[in-house]
Amino acid sequence: MFPAFSHVDPPGSGRVEMSTVLQQLFNGISIGGVYALEAVGFGIIFNILKFSNFSHGGVVAICAYFGFFISKYFYQNFVVTLVITTVVGGFIGVIVEKLIFRPIRLKGAPLTLLLVNSITAAMLVQQFFAATLGDDYYPYPPMMKQTGLNFWTVTVSKTYVLMFAITAAVLILLTYILKKTKIGIALRAASTDIRTPSLMGIDIDFVISFAFFIAGVLGGITGYLLGMTYSVDPFIGSQILKGIIAAIIGGIGSLGGGCIAGLLLGGVESLLIAEIGASLTQIVIYAAIFVLLLIRPEGIAGKRMIAKA
Amino acid sequence: MAFYLKVLEITCLQTIFVLGAYLMTGLTGLFSLGQGGFVLIGAYTAAIAYLKFHLAFPVAIALAVLVGSVIGFLIGIPTLRLHRDYFLLVTFGFGEMVRAALLHLAQLTGGALGIAGIPQLVGLPMILISIAVITFFIANLKRSRFGRNCIAIRDDELAASLMGIHVYGYKMKVFILSSAITSYGGALYAFVIMFIEPNLFNWLESAKLIVITFVGGINSITGAIISSIIYYSFGEFFRFIDVWRDVLLALSVLLVTIFRSQGIFGSWEFSPRRIFGRGTKAT
Repeated sequence: MFPAFSHVDPPGSGRVEMSTVLQQLFNGISIGGVYALEAVGFGIIFNILKFSNFSHGGVVAICAYFGFFISKYFYQNFVVTLVITTVVGGFIGVIVEKLIFRPIRLKGAPLTLLLVNSITAAMLVQQFFAATLGDDYYPYPPMMKQTGLNFWTVTVSKTYVLMFAITAAVLILLTYILKKTKIGIALRAASTDIRTPSLMGIDIDFVISFAFFIAGVLGGITGYLLGMTYSVDPFIGSQILKGIIAAIIGGIGSLGGGCIAGLLLGGVESLLIAEIGASLTQIVIYAAIFVLLLIRPEGIAGKRMIAKA
Repeated sequence: MAFYLKVLEITCLQTIFVLGAYLMTGLTGLFSLGQGGFVLIGAYTAAIAYLKFHLAFPVAIALAVLVGSVIGFLIGIPTLRLHRDYFLLVTFGFGEMVRAALLHLAQLTGGALGIAGIPQLVGLPMILISIAVITFFIANLKRSRFGRNCIAIRDDELAASLMGIHVYGYKMKVFILSSAITSYGGALYAFVIMFIEPNLFNWLESAKLIVITFVGGINSITGAIISSIIYYSFGEFFRFIDVWRDVLLALSVLLVTIFRSQGIFGSWEFSPRRIFGRGTKAT
């Protein structure tokens, strides 16, 4: 599986190296969980309105800053601040939809304008934070004792374990909402075809607002976790890039594919960074995407989109 | 005076990039966030050819355009068959990949330190002539059969292909043309600002090109040029609010798209014929 390791290592030291690899793999998969959250938040909007919602990065950035300020100046508790940030993120998502997407959508303007507006919104948020708070890095206050947990030979940081647990819980909850609740079923119906459900008496504007709420909630969690792991700067919204890549690899239409691709991307990325360095990793990942799209344009689990008149 | 000249030069160069983006987004409806990648390719190719391989200046520029077009062709083969959003995201990845590659190939490109000491060989006359030629070319292209087919593809791809327009072929031609123009602009850029580094043109700059095209009017070259000139010269003159410039741009774009979704100029075009009263009404 790791030919480079078996090549280099003298016999006997293999076990130590293996645990390092496992540790990196676990950290990578934890980060990959955050990518999966991003990919799902991105994919939900894509499914229903069929445009790439770059403003999701803006929501992530706002929430990262919000989480920082609230936990630094208001109340320094991990659970409380995470929940507040998440709810605020949801409402930011709804506000964004009402302010900049709904007017265009109701006018019947071309879909490309939604795309342009979402890019502009991402730009607005990034430059606004750069203008007001500067390019400084804001580290989150320490929420918990940075202790390592030992699993067999692998030592992992508590932050990463927590991150992984939160991601898993959120994704399971989201699956429940989408599969079992009425609004979730309405959301999935609208994703297949946006006009028919509205003829069946479903309030489509409310469903779209709800989709943005969910995406905002996911953005809130993403922003908080990213801010906690790294630190907050105006360009944290660009981290959404990884989520978008995961969404492409998985196939934008498929939320499950996005999740798997996010975990995969996180794991592969951290192993590659350890093996060949950060700058070459980026090149390898983008090149891999090119090759993937050449072979399978719809991603791993996506459906091929067929243009209909 | 020198300051104003420099502002004018930079503004004109950015306008060349905007024209490249117009060809893609305004005319054909291809959203590319990878224009920055072609700017960097053009700038680095020209600078490396001139400084490291001691090629003559015109040869360096020509080489930059050639490399830009060939890379455009290679990138176009897999990506132009993709659905609009996939194309956007993959070109986005392409732009970031070029940046990462330039940072990585430090022996050739100087890595994060960039390339310094490029002589200032391009003056205002050359830039003005280039921009006039490119504008004339694109304006004529827009009114030709080729341009009308492109507009048809932009408005409805399926309908266009049913009318017998070879969508993939047209997209490919436009993509190569746009990458050639953009890398030409990038090559000039290197010889104007005299120092280039990989972070010169990130995805945000590429996004601005699209956004400026939209504010000016999706159907209007005049609109694209005027909004580009206003935006880029405004920022240089109001250095003290420089950081707020992009915030203002983003806000005005949102307002324009919400209240006037066809852009400021819509599909209005400036036409010399109308002013001199010769010929028929320009279409």
